[in-house]
This record gives sequence, C-alpha cells and structure tokens, in this order.
Amino acid sequence: MNASHGLKKFMNAVLFREIWNAMKVTFKHMFHRPMTFQYPREKRVIPDAHRGALGLLRYDDGRERCVGCDLCEVACPSRCIKVISEEDKSLPLQRVATEFYIDITKCVFCGYCVEACPVNALAMTKLYEYSTHDKRTLLFDKKRLYDIGEQYMDDAKKYLYAHNQEKDDHESRVYRYQFPEPVHKPNTS
Amino acid sequence: MALKPVTTPDVEAATIELTIDGKTVTSKEGVSLYDVISNTGKIIAAMCYHYTFDPFGSCGVCLVQQEGKKSPVRACTAKAAAGMVITTDGEDLFLARKKAIEKHLLVHPLDCPVCDADGHCELQDMAFTHGVTNLANAKQKNIPEDTRSLVLDFNMNRCIACGECINICKDVQRIDALQFMKKDGFTQVVAKGDQALECEFCGDCLAVCPVGAITNKFSKYVYKPWQLKKTTTTCNYCGDGCQMYMETKDTEVTRVTSPLSWKNKWGDRSDTANGHSGLCVRGRFGFQFIDSKARLKHPLVRKDNGLTEAPWIEALELAAGRLARVKSKYGPQAIAGLITARCTNEELYVFQKFMRVVIGTNHVDSSARYGHLNFVRAVHHALGIGRMMNTSAEITRAKAILLVGTNITETNPVASLRVKEAIGVYKAQVMVVDSSQTNMANLASHPLIVHPGTEGVFVQGLVKSVLDQDLVDADTTARYPEAFSALQQAAESVSVERVAEQTGIPVDQIQEAARIFAEAPRSIILCGEGIVRQSGGYHNVLNLIDLAWVTGNLDKPGCGLNTLTEEANEQGALDMGVAPEFLPGTVAYDDPKAREKFSQAWGIELPQGGGNANLMEILKRCREGQIKALYVVGENPLATLPSSWDVQAALSNLELLICQDPFLTETGNLAHIVFPACTFAEKDGTFTNQEGKVQFVRPAFDPLGESALDWHITVGISHALGQAMTYESTQDIQDEIRKLLPGYYNLGQPKKVEVNPAPYLSNGYKGEVASRYGLSSNGHDQLRPFGLKMIQLLYHSGKLSTRASGLQNISPNTHCLRVAPVELERLGLSPDDRVRVTSDQGSLELGVQADLSLLPGTCAFPEHFNEPPVKDLMPIELDPVTGVPYFKLARVTVEKV
Repeated sequence: MNASHGLKKFMNAVLFREIWNAMKVTFKHMFHRPMTFQYPREKRVIPDAHRGALGLLRYDDGRERCVGCDLCEVACPSRCIKVISEEDKSLPLQRVATEFYIDITKCVFCGYCVEACPVNALAMTKLYEYSTHDKRTLLFDKKRLYDIGEQYMDDAKKYLYAHNQEKDDHESRVYRYQFPEPVHKPNTS
Repeated sequence: MALKPVTTPDVEAATIELTIDGKTVTSKEGVSLYDVISNTGKIIAAMCYHYTFDPFGSCGVCLVQQEGKKSPVRACTAKAAAGMVITTDGEDLFLARKKAIEKHLLVHPLDCPVCDADGHCELQDMAFTHGVTNLANAKQKNIPEDTRSLVLDFNMNRCIACGECINICKDVQRIDALQFMKKDGFTQVVAKGDQALECEFCGDCLAVCPVGAITNKFSKYVYKPWQLKKTTTTCNYCGDGCQMYMETKDTEVTRVTSPLSWKNKWGDRSDTANGHSGLCVRGRFGFQFIDSKARLKHPLVRKDNGLTEAPWIEALELAAGRLARVKSKYGPQAIAGLITARCTNEELYVFQKFMRVVIGTNHVDSSARYGHLNFVRAVHHALGIGRMMNTSAEITRAKAILLVGTNITETNPVASLRVKEAIGVYKAQVMVVDSSQTNMANLASHPLIVHPGTEGVFVQGLVKSVLDQDLVDADTTARYPEAFSALQQAAESVSVERVAEQTGIPVDQIQEAARIFAEAPRSIILCGEGIVRQSGGYHNVLNLIDLAWVTGNLDKPGCGLNTLTEEANEQGALDMGVAPEFLPGTVAYDDPKAREKFSQAWGIELPQGGGNANLMEILKRCREGQIKALYVVGENPLATLPSSWDVQAALSNLELLICQDPFLTETGNLAHIVFPACTFAEKDGTFTNQEGKVQFVRPAFDPLGESALDWHITVGISHALGQAMTYESTQDIQDEIRKLLPGYYNLGQPKKVEVNPAPYLSNGYKGEVASRYGLSSNGHDQLRPFGLKMIQLLYHSGKLSTRASGLQNISPNTHCLRVAPVELERLGLSPDDRVRVTSDQGSLELGVQADLSLLPGTCAFPEHFNEPPVKDLMPIELDPVTGVPYFKLARVTVEKV
C-alpha cells in the first residue's frame, strides 16, 4: 500500500501528470464559445426583472403619474428618497410632487419603493451605467428621474409586468386617481 | 341630549355597580357605557364618539354584548345601569365590528395616498386592525370637493357621516356652523345653508374628523404625518395658554394641531370643565409668521446709509460700548428698558435683572402696562394677590357669570368656551356687559349692551343696586362695618336711574343683574379690556372687588374676580417683576424685606424706588431728554400708541435705541442697533397664562439664520459690558427663579390664591372709596355723536398676527370703518362710499362696512391695523394711579365725503 502509493507519486512527478490535467482544461476551452464578452462593445442581455436605476413614469397621455404621496419615502429602507409635494397650481385639488430626489449612492435596489407606489409611477430599469467623476450627479432629481423613465419606458413596463404590478396601459389607467372637481360656486339647485 | 355630565356641582348621580368582562366596576348611573368601559383601561374601537360632546351613535363600531340582549349594543349611546353584564371581547363582536367598518369602506374612496389624513386616519387604522382587505361592490360617490371656504376644504367622498364635526361645533363651540344635508343621494356635511363656510374657523372640526373629509387649505397636500416633527408647546397669541403641537419639516412650520383630536376621545364628559384641549383660529392657522421671509436673520447696525447687516460680535460690542457711554455720561437713570409680554418668563426675568443689576436702573416696563397691570395692581392692593382668582373649571361651574367689558369670544376664544359650557351644560345665568352685541351676548341669558365707555359706570350702578335692594351679604360686611358704611356713603353719589340713563340699560335690568349676581350660589366676575383698558380702569377693578365683597362672593369657593389677558405672558411679565412697581413674585418694589432678599440674591444694592418711570413715563422722558438710551425687546410703541403721544419724537431724541425683534418693526426702523430675536417656536422656556398656569414652550427648531433667543442677546450684551450674567441654558435661569420664587414652576397646576381683604378693608379703604364713586355729568357729547372703538378681532392678536399670511387671508385689513347697518342707512352710505372721521385729535378718510355687532352710535376699527392710522384719532389718557394709557375709545363725527 505504502510502496504503491510512493510509486504512483513518483510516476506523477516524472510524467508531469498535473500539468497535463491542467492543460486538458485549457485545451477543452479552445473548442468552447467564449464565456466573457467584450464590454462595452458587447452588452449582456438583462432579464426583465432586473433591478437597475429607478425612473419615474408618465401616463400614455404624458401626465405625470406621481402624486407625491410619499409612500416610497417611508418604504425605503436606506432612506434615500425625499419627496416634496403640494397642490398642483394649475389643476386645483390634484396632488403633485414638486421635488423628488433619489440618492442613488445610498440605494440598495431592493425595489420596495416600486412595490409601495400606489400609481406605479416608479419602476426600475435596466440602466446601470451611470458612473461619474462627480458624485453629486448621483442625487437624481425629478427631472433626471423622468428622463430615465422616458428613455427606458419599455424596460420599466417590463419590470412592472415581471413583478406582477401592472400588465398594460389599460391597467395603469385603472390605478389612476380620479381627483374630485372643486365646487366653484354655491349649489343653486 | 341624553348624556350630559351626570354629576354637576348641584346633583350627585347615584353610584352603581356593573360587570364588565367578569369584573365588577363601580360607576355613576347614567353615564355613557363607553366611558365606563374606557375607564377600566379597555379601549374599544369607535369612530363617532368623542368625550367632549354627547354620544351620537352613527358609526356602529363600539359594539359590546349585553347579557339578556340578542344582538350587540352600541356602548356609546347605552347608559350605564345597575347590574348590567357586559362582554367587550369575542369572535362574534370582532366580526360585527368588522362588518360595520366594511360598511363604511364600501363608499369610501381608496385615495389614501393623496389624502391629507393618510397615516392619521381612524378608518385606515380600523381597517388595518380588523383585517378588511377585500370589498365586493365598493362604489364611488364622485362628489365634487367643496373648496369655497377660506380655510377648510370638504371632501365628502371621504366622509363617513360620523357627525363629530357637527357635534363639536354645536355642543362645544356653540357656533353650529355645520349641518348634514342630503345632496346628490348622499348625506353630506355642509356649512349651514350649503354656503361657503364662514365661521370662527377654530378648526376643531378638522381636529376631530377621523378621516380626511375635512382638510385645511394652508397645508393641503404638503405633508404626510410621518414627515413631521411634532413639538408640544404653548401658544403665544393670547393669555389662555393653550397647549399645541407645532408640526415642522426642518425649519418650516407645516401645520399646528391640538391635543384635541379623534385620537384623544377617551375621557369623562365632565373633564371638559378643564378645557377641551382645542385651539382657536389664531393658534391653529396663524403660524406662518414663524418661518416668514420677513424675519430678521442678521443683526443690523445703523451706518451712514441706514441699517446695515453686521456680525454679531460687532453689534454686541457696539451696543455695550454705547450703553456704557450713556451710563457714564448721564448715569444709569438715563437708560430704560421695555419688553413685550410675549417673551418667556426666563427672558423677562433676565431682562429685568439686566436692567436692575447690570445697568442699575428701575426704568423697566412691559406691555402688561397696556391694561393687565390695572387688574393686578388693584387685586394686589385690595386683596394681596397677584393674579385672577378662579380656575377655568370654576368658571364652567359657576351659576352666575358677570362678563364686563370683554368680547371674550374674540379676545380669548378658548376661555370663552368655559363660559359657553357654563351656559349650555350647567345652565348658568350669564350677564354680558359690553358696548357691542358680541357673540357671547347672543348666547347669554342677560345681554346688557351699554354705551361705549360706560362699563365702569355700569359697575357702579350694580354696586349701588346691590346696596339699594339690600342684597348684601350680612356676614362679610359685618366684619368690616366701617368700610361698609364708607362704601354706602360713597355710593350715595350714584343713583341707579342716572346709571341707567348714562349706560342705556333700563333700571329694572340693572337691578335684575344685581339680584342674579348677589343671589347665585357661585358668582364669578370676568373683566376684560372694556374695564382694564378704559378710562378709570384701576378704580373700576376696585369697584368690582367691592361688588364681589358686599355680595359675599369674594372668598366663597367657586366665586371670585377674574380677568383675561391679551398677550401670552402678561401675567408672567408681572410675576417676573418687569414693572417699576414690582419685584419678581409681584411684591412691591419698595417692600424692604423683598428688597433685601433680592439685593442679597443678586449681590448688589437695588436701584432706589420712587420716581421710576413706567412705559408712558419712559417715553415722555425720552422726549424730554432725560432718558438717553432705550432697550426695546419685542415692543413696538410707535405702532401701538396714538401719534399724539409723539413716540416718534421720543425715539428720535434718543442717543441710543436698541431694538430686539424677530421682525423689523416701525420702532426698529428708528433704532441704532437691531438684534434679530427668534419667535416662540424656537424658544425654550415657560409662559404663565392668565390663570397662573406655568406652561412649557419648547423649541421646534433651531433659531432661523443668525437670530437668537432674547435672553441670549441680553446676556451677550452683559458679557460685552464686562458684567457677565453667567447663564448657559434656560435651565440655569429656571434654577435661579426656582430659588427666589419657590413653587413658581407649577407644571400647569397653580395653587389657589389666598384672598386677604382684611388689611385693605380695615385700613386704607375708608379714605379711598369715596373717590371711586360718582358719575361724571357729561353723558353724550352732542358735538361728536359717535363712539369710535379700537376693537380686537378674533382672527388677530396684537400686531404679530398680521405677519401670519393665513390669518391675513381670513381677515385682511379692509381699510374700512365698521358701522352699524342702521347708521349706514341713516347717513345714506353705500358700501363703496368713503367717510371722514373726525375726532379732537385729527381726521381721516376711509371706507365703511356694515358690522352687525355694533349698536347705533358706535363705530369701530380693528386695533391690529395701522393703515389707515385710525389709532391716531384716539385721545390718550393716563390712569392717575397705575399710569396705564387709555386710548381705545374716542368721540368722533362721521360724515360722508
């Protein structure tokens, strides 16, 4: 037992057995399709449920979906969202977010804010390329978020669908608030 | 109206025993079962119940099982009876409650995310705790939102018709501005007659609304409750001292809420005698001045090109250097100080100590001089006390209340609720003596509307009438026979008929009022600005003391003499000795024992008494050049006093005027140095309300910009002067006050004042009383037929509230003279016309508006506005004893132009 073990060891050493084993793996890969790809010339296909940068969405008629309800802010575990809302100056009795900030450096991409949103105004996109030299640009404001939403509208819709939140435009309209109209003059009836 | 408090001061309800969840509980017969259960510590859900009014029983959630009944009963409307066996828990009850909640949710829109009540909504909480998740056949009401009112929006889609708003308006506020109306197929809450809501805007309906059906315009959609920091503090508008929650986002005040809310519904109905914890329109909606853009954020120093911003260190050094120069050149008597009674007790204490110890002068006064001082000086002189005698609970339970010269609902709205409760719940007889048809006069059993300025005459008439009708209390008068005979002699000069003629009240009504006041088991006097701020105020308060004394209502429990203050801390200002005649603790300045105590405590010899100037005297001496430097904290005499006193000249004559205020006021514009002070929302300290409750003021955020607490600035000047006052925190000042005035910090439970009339009645009374009685001969001035009154409005307090945009929205300066509608007709005036008002002091032109509360022969203008400067038409008269200036009434002519 001991002698055969010693012999085997000797033979392995003489015949460079380990090197052959290693080279076997190497040669196998010569006939493989490459595992890596040439980022940024080539890009990975990202699944619909991917949690990337957040964007704000509009309805198909161009109206902002967000009503400034602040539920994303409370749902956020890393406290990276800040919403400031008020009554819409042009449309009385409609609530609107005047300012909306997401500090994406703090964001943990949990997607809770999207789940909390009652009007599906927030969605995650497949955007992940926003590295920058200036960290201040990573505080996304309302305009940036709407730009992201517009640019990645398809991703956002697929995200919502993948997360079982909204199937189609029709459903988005169902979620929409019907704000009451103001009474302007005393009821004369 | 079945469940009034069952235990009134007169009737004690029977004690009964009943069983709740197997435990025997004792209670009073006839109270709401809901109260009995909540007193055991069990909390059952309810949406329409609130302890401040009678149970309404519309929500159907507070279900309990009573033995012997098939179905659950509503706990709120059921009366406790002996031998009841009640179960409050169980699967069946849970399901029954859940069903009731589902019923409400079926027609409730699920717009929680945009609703202002989200996170502070009873229906939301209940749906959550009862696990209501699935609603079949939910429907929407689609009712338009009523935004016609200036303050409140009514979204009737969210309304669950609990009726809390209507009930609190009717039962507590006694305004009855809201009603149910069946409209568009739904029961909706609308303003009376489905008009735009026009009421006192106390906002109690907003506070008790368990859903978001009533929301306010000033903070609509700008917050969610979880974003706000809530600070419990004391309101700084009037002397009622209401507790309130200041809700802020960083340095922005978002809204003010009251302890009264649907969340605080558990209590005994009789608890409301101590107050219902609500607020008035000023407290609730007048917060915008706090974070106003007009706030001063940097010290200002006068340079060649006017007031310019300067660093703190420079401004303090300059102030101290110039103060030191004035002091060394002219002596400490050339320096004087004025402070507003809206400062905290600690600031007032530090201020008077600074003036007396660091500067060495006793020329120090506060805005309590404008009226409250008359009351305190009178009760101090006659009864040896320093504030009003009764608590609010005693006012509620009085049997007769004499309200003299006060439009209490407008000046002290929350205190007025105690009187309203006395009228409505305890059926008190209330006599309202005022020169206008006030809201309280409409509710009272005996509205006695006198000619303007004759409130004091009416009091004399009452005393005379008591003597004439022999309504005197033999026991109390027999103890001081000499004083009583002196009073009888003095009253000889008064005849009830003459009083009737001068006041315009028939003789029999005066006599009836006297009878009611003298014969009621508990009689309370409440006097206000019509007494303390009008000619002869000091004597009139003493006459009221006479009235209480001869009718035996001075030292009986539940009786007494009370006043109302206009500013939050007028009582505190006098308690802290900010008046030349008082030391802290309202002891006389020349009391040798007190002087020694304070000399020792402060380590100096107190400046000599005598010849010390009060507010009016200070301004006079400024004008005459005896006072060279004036340190003004928050006061604005230039905008307050009529121009005939020539404050402008007085202030321009000064070598040094230091002004310390959150805003750049008229007085500040003349100042050499202006320090930016902060408002009460940034302060730490205490206010003493008119009842003597010392209540905490807590900072909601750090001082805005570079502004600082008033006492910080005062201490800063003392440091720069090289005589440092070594306070580091409000706590240090409080410790010192605690040592000097043991028991002053009473945590809102003041000790009962001990009335001691003996020294006055047996000594000084005889000599004085004769001078207090007697009617002046000139009744009506034919030359100037109108009485022009400077009135206080419900929606404003002093000049401060005009900085609050919310209150300005509700009640802007109309630039109009208020006249009775009949007078408009008589003078042939239409609302677009302008009139010329002429008094002996001058004349000016302004618009007119009808005011239903005024009587023919009276016109009025709010004292809060100086545009046009109606105050300058006022003659000014000083009280010979207290030096209080009277400038609220003038005789004028009104002509169309």
